[in-house]
Amino acid sequence: MRAALRRGWDATRYLVGGLGTALPALLLAVPFVFLVVPLSLLFVGLPWLPEVLRPLRALANAERGRAGHALGRTIPEPYAPPHGSDLARAWRLLRSPATWRDLAWMVAHGCTGLVAATLALGLWPSVVYTLSMPLWWWAMPEGTVQVFVPLTSWPTAMTLPFLQAAAFLTVLVWALPRLARFQVRLAEWLLRPTRREHLARRVERLTETRAGALEAHAAELHRIERDLHDGTQAQLVSVAMRLGLAVRGFHTTPEESLRLVKEAREGVEDTLTQLRGVIRGIYPPILADRGLGGAVRALAAGQRAETTVDLPDDIPRCPAAVEAAAYFAIAEALTNATRHSGASRVAVVLRHDGTTLRITVRDNGAGGADPASGSGLAGIGRRVAALDGTTEIDSPIGDGTTLRVELPCAS
Amino acid sequence: MRVVIAEDNALLREGLNLLLTSTGHEVVAVVCRGPDIMPALREHRPDIAVLDVRLPPGFRDEGLRAALEARRDLPGLPILVLSQYVEETYAAELLADGATGIGYLLKDRVSRVEEFLDALDRVAAGGTALDPEVITQLMTRRDPLDALTVREREVLALMAQGHDNTTIATTLRVSERAISKHITNIFHKLGLPPEERGHRRVLAVLAYLNT
Repeated sequence: MRAALRRGWDATRYLVGGLGTALPALLLAVPFVFLVVPLSLLFVGLPWLPEVLRPLRALANAERGRAGHALGRTIPEPYAPPHGSDLARAWRLLRSPATWRDLAWMVAHGCTGLVAATLALGLWPSVVYTLSMPLWWWAMPEGTVQVFVPLTSWPTAMTLPFLQAAAFLTVLVWALPRLARFQVRLAEWLLRPTRREHLARRVERLTETRAGALEAHAAELHRIERDLHDGTQAQLVSVAMRLGLAVRGFHTTPEESLRLVKEAREGVEDTLTQLRGVIRGIYPPILADRGLGGAVRALAAGQRAETTVDLPDDIPRCPAAVEAAAYFAIAEALTNATRHSGASRVAVVLRHDGTTLRITVRDNGAGGADPASGSGLAGIGRRVAALDGTTEIDSPIGDGTTLRVELPCAS
Repeated sequence: MRVVIAEDNALLREGLNLLLTSTGHEVVAVVCRGPDIMPALREHRPDIAVLDVRLPPGFRDEGLRAALEARRDLPGLPILVLSQYVEETYAAELLADGATGIGYLLKDRVSRVEEFLDALDRVAAGGTALDPEVITQLMTRRDPLDALTVREREVLALMAQGHDNTTIATTLRVSERAISKHITNIFHKLGLPPEERGHRRVLAVLAYLNT
């Protein structure tokens, strides 16, 4: 009973909260149905459509937030970003299903929301009122107090009010939660993007990130090519030259040849060191050896600041590009934390929920990290975006830096 | 010395074989795969094992895992791990149960034949040989090292690699007496027990760098 009452109470709160959107919806519905829509369809009102739709969209967004909160998942906006001339925009708005679905919701919610809220608001005092009847019905003029029939005798006064209160309570605990659920579903059904809109936006985002991916990949190839061409290759040429000279003078100037050979050896050593750096920049070997978990632990162990790593033992392997992006994002965040923010503590958290790899790196440094000024963080953002992921940097001055990265990675 | 080699790259395998046999060592077995290492070590009981980190079948850290297994199951068997790259984490794993008879070097170091053979002897004799790059990784993250002079830091790095005073003195071209003085200063500044010798000294230094 307690739980049932609790559900009734929660439903009441939701339905009464619905007044906040139902009343404006009702107020807007009249001018919209009788003025805006007919005028727009007759093209006379079309130029003003984007402006007049604005309050409706704001209202729909408010309901999206409210229903999304109740559902525990967000209801995304279905609106496409505006582009083109004013008239073209208005025309697109008129043809967009989102506009018509918003309108349908406005009318439906305006009518039902008000009734539901009134019912929810009225039921609670009604229960109290009915239950109190046996205390005062006799003091009223005869026949004015009614429960199903006018109360005229004590036996009816002691039974009928309780029956009615029970009926009210039944509505309260049974019907109100259903009404509230109906309101949530109505909002979700009419206000979420249609499958078509959803796919259109997904394609738009993927087109963007694909272009980003190609660009990032090209930049990466150029960087590697430059490193190998200007570094490794040039160094090996100089080694080969020294060896050639050493061979030439082997019999005539052995001392000089020995010096050249030694120089060649030093050149090879430098080349190898430099080559290790290149390899590390392409794909850190420890990532291949130990997976993301082991690599991140190794990374944390090499930090000056006290670095904690929190990750599940059974973190699944992701595609190499995803693991590398995650690794470099964490490495960059750690470098920033110790080198630029002077942090003394850093916490790295890694989570994988079956579809997404989530990374959080939080430090207690000086904050104020600006991805626009530091090329490192911007590079991480590009690299992550190229894989259809998101980066978020929260760095208030004096209050540490938090980097959040999400990378899609279905296991 | 009797040596077992684990290396999958034919060129490097032949190179190591040539280098060791031409300097008077006996290569008793050469294996190419991670899972073959332990049986070979059990069968031949060599004076030292020279292991590559990345080996078939997985091309991950099979060699390192075999080294750790050998440390556990065949205590006292000196092991020199060679790798194309060094990771401080791997060094810590290798040193987890003591610094006796353990080495961890970049493959590049083979080019300095004398130094490489010296490291081999040191490890076989129960000493330590750690790659300078590991020590650099360790040293960059210690703040209190700022208290040391440049020379003292050089001495500390060589000490951590597993060298004795004589070698350190030769490398830095100063007298052994000067080195002892530097070491006393370092141990004093870092608050370490000054009378440690040999691999215990290496361990003390590494433990300090690692915390």
